[in-house]
Amino acid sequence: MRVVIAEDNVLLSTGLELLLRVKGFEVAAVAADVESFLAAVRTHRPDVTIVDVRLPPSFRDEGIRAALQARRDHPGLPVLVLSQYVEPVYASQLLATPNGVGYLLKDRVSRVDEFAEALTRVASGGTSLDPEVVAQLLAHRGDPIAALTRREREILALMAQGHDNATIGARLVITDNAVHKHIGNIFSKLGLAPTDSGHRRVLAVLAYLNSNA
Amino acid sequence: MLAGRGAAYLLGALCTAVASVVALPLLCHPTLSGSWARWHRRRAARLRGAPVETQPTRLRRLLGWLPVHVAVAVTAGAFALLCLGNLVFAAAVVALWWAFPADDPPSLLLDVPVHGWGTAVALGLAQVTVLAALAWSLFPPLADAHARVTLAMLAPAPADRLAERVVVLTRTRADALEAHGAELRRIERDLHDGTQARLVAIAMRLAVARQELAGRPDPLDRSDAVSELLREAHEGAEEAMTELRAVIRTIYPPILADHGLAGALQMMAVRGGVPVDVDMGELGQVPAAVEAVAYFAVTEALTNVAKHSHAARAAVRVRRTGDRLSIAVRDDGVGGAGEHHGTGLTGIRRRAEALDGTLAVASPAGGPTEITVDLPCGW
Repeated sequence: MRVVIAEDNVLLSTGLELLLRVKGFEVAAVAADVESFLAAVRTHRPDVTIVDVRLPPSFRDEGIRAALQARRDHPGLPVLVLSQYVEPVYASQLLATPNGVGYLLKDRVSRVDEFAEALTRVASGGTSLDPEVVAQLLAHRGDPIAALTRREREILALMAQGHDNATIGARLVITDNAVHKHIGNIFSKLGLAPTDSGHRRVLAVLAYLNSNA
Repeated sequence: MLAGRGAAYLLGALCTAVASVVALPLLCHPTLSGSWARWHRRRAARLRGAPVETQPTRLRRLLGWLPVHVAVAVTAGAFALLCLGNLVFAAAVVALWWAFPADDPPSLLLDVPVHGWGTAVALGLAQVTVLAALAWSLFPPLADAHARVTLAMLAPAPADRLAERVVVLTRTRADALEAHGAELRRIERDLHDGTQARLVAIAMRLAVARQELAGRPDPLDRSDAVSELLREAHEGAEEAMTELRAVIRTIYPPILADHGLAGALQMMAVRGGVPVDVDMGELGQVPAAVEAVAYFAVTEALTNVAKHSHAARAAVRVRRTGDRLSIAVRDDGVGGAGEHHGTGLTGIRRRAEALDGTLAVASPAGGPTEITVDLPCGW
């Protein structure tokens, strides 16, 4: 799988290259600014891109804007954005077109397997949201969330991060069947139309969390 | 103090006293009166060896001083002039008594006529001695008295001094705030670009090392111990990253560095569970330390709204009036918020007061709640 990286910090970009190579990805190009990133995407047509939020010249949210621009230029281009801190507004901007987007804290990179899994999920059109983003989204949703049991809240959080039933079951050490049942309860408590397993369900959850009550 | 300096001072004072009377209308002009007062204070301070103070003198005080100056300077100055004049006259008579007409001889020691070298030298020496002694003993105290009165009367009133001090303190505090803000931003940037990036890079390499080790069992079977050490190092690095992120957030929230106060508050409002109206006025330039406290206050207040108020709506209003930044967070909830409930209000008050700001909480039982934070921006 071919990856283009937009990261201006050499320490991080070399680390990322090393890590991706070990996990069997091919790093097609590393760009240090927005222009060269967009050019690299045009040239290499990567399967997935990794973009740091803070890029030159102002080191603010150039990365988010670069990611959005790249997705306008190449609809459906999978983008995984890395950030020093989580900002749900960035997540909302990215999720405006939710297929193939990820938004993770930089720290997560060091969990190699989970990071590779998230990257693969994004590359195949899925979603990967940082647990902290999801926690903040959940924390600011008022009463309907309070009606959920603890287990249901855990499952909702994992769904919002982009995980499928099998992963959720494995994480919480419960059967597929149990996961399925919990999800049914969550959807009826939140007043969401039941959807089949898979990405559409993730989107429904995200849309719910992202909207203001 | 030498008699010569005293004499020069007294004669100068006499001249300026005369000039003051002649040019009185001009002295009502603030610029002229200011420099006139400043010049006199400098001169008096130099004579007394006192430090030269630079605070401006108000016109009212100058006008109060002028009559005293004229009275003292004219009296003492005339006395000095008389002494010096007679000294010079006596010296001249000793040398030139013969040049005067015989029927109108010069007189010394008030009224003793001079007729020959004997009387000229004797009387002249006597008169010079008396006058020199007078000058020697009286000029310095007279000059000092004038200088003392001038310094006392032209110095700013205690209230003015205080006002001046407040102006200076306000300016230096603004400078300090600005320097502090620049420092906060620099620290945040250094930690983010340097320390944090390095930690992430280390953690990534440790993670890769763990992967590689897991894939290749060590023939000498040390892999368990090594992988245990690697695991500990990896987890330590991850904990350090989490801690560092928390530290950076309390030093200066990165979102402020990225979006400024207005942008950060707008973004915070969007994420809230309770709908929040944000009303930002024209804020101008706000010191970073003030921004950080304002952001902290709104974060805490909105957290309270979400947790305790049962409100349906909240509103954040930020205004800049002169050098004050006022932040009001209002909600239509149940009220009854207070600092005794272990809410974040105590924290807000502490941080606001550290910047000479205030916190007001109005939250009657039944609502609505409004908390207002008022912060000086320093200029």
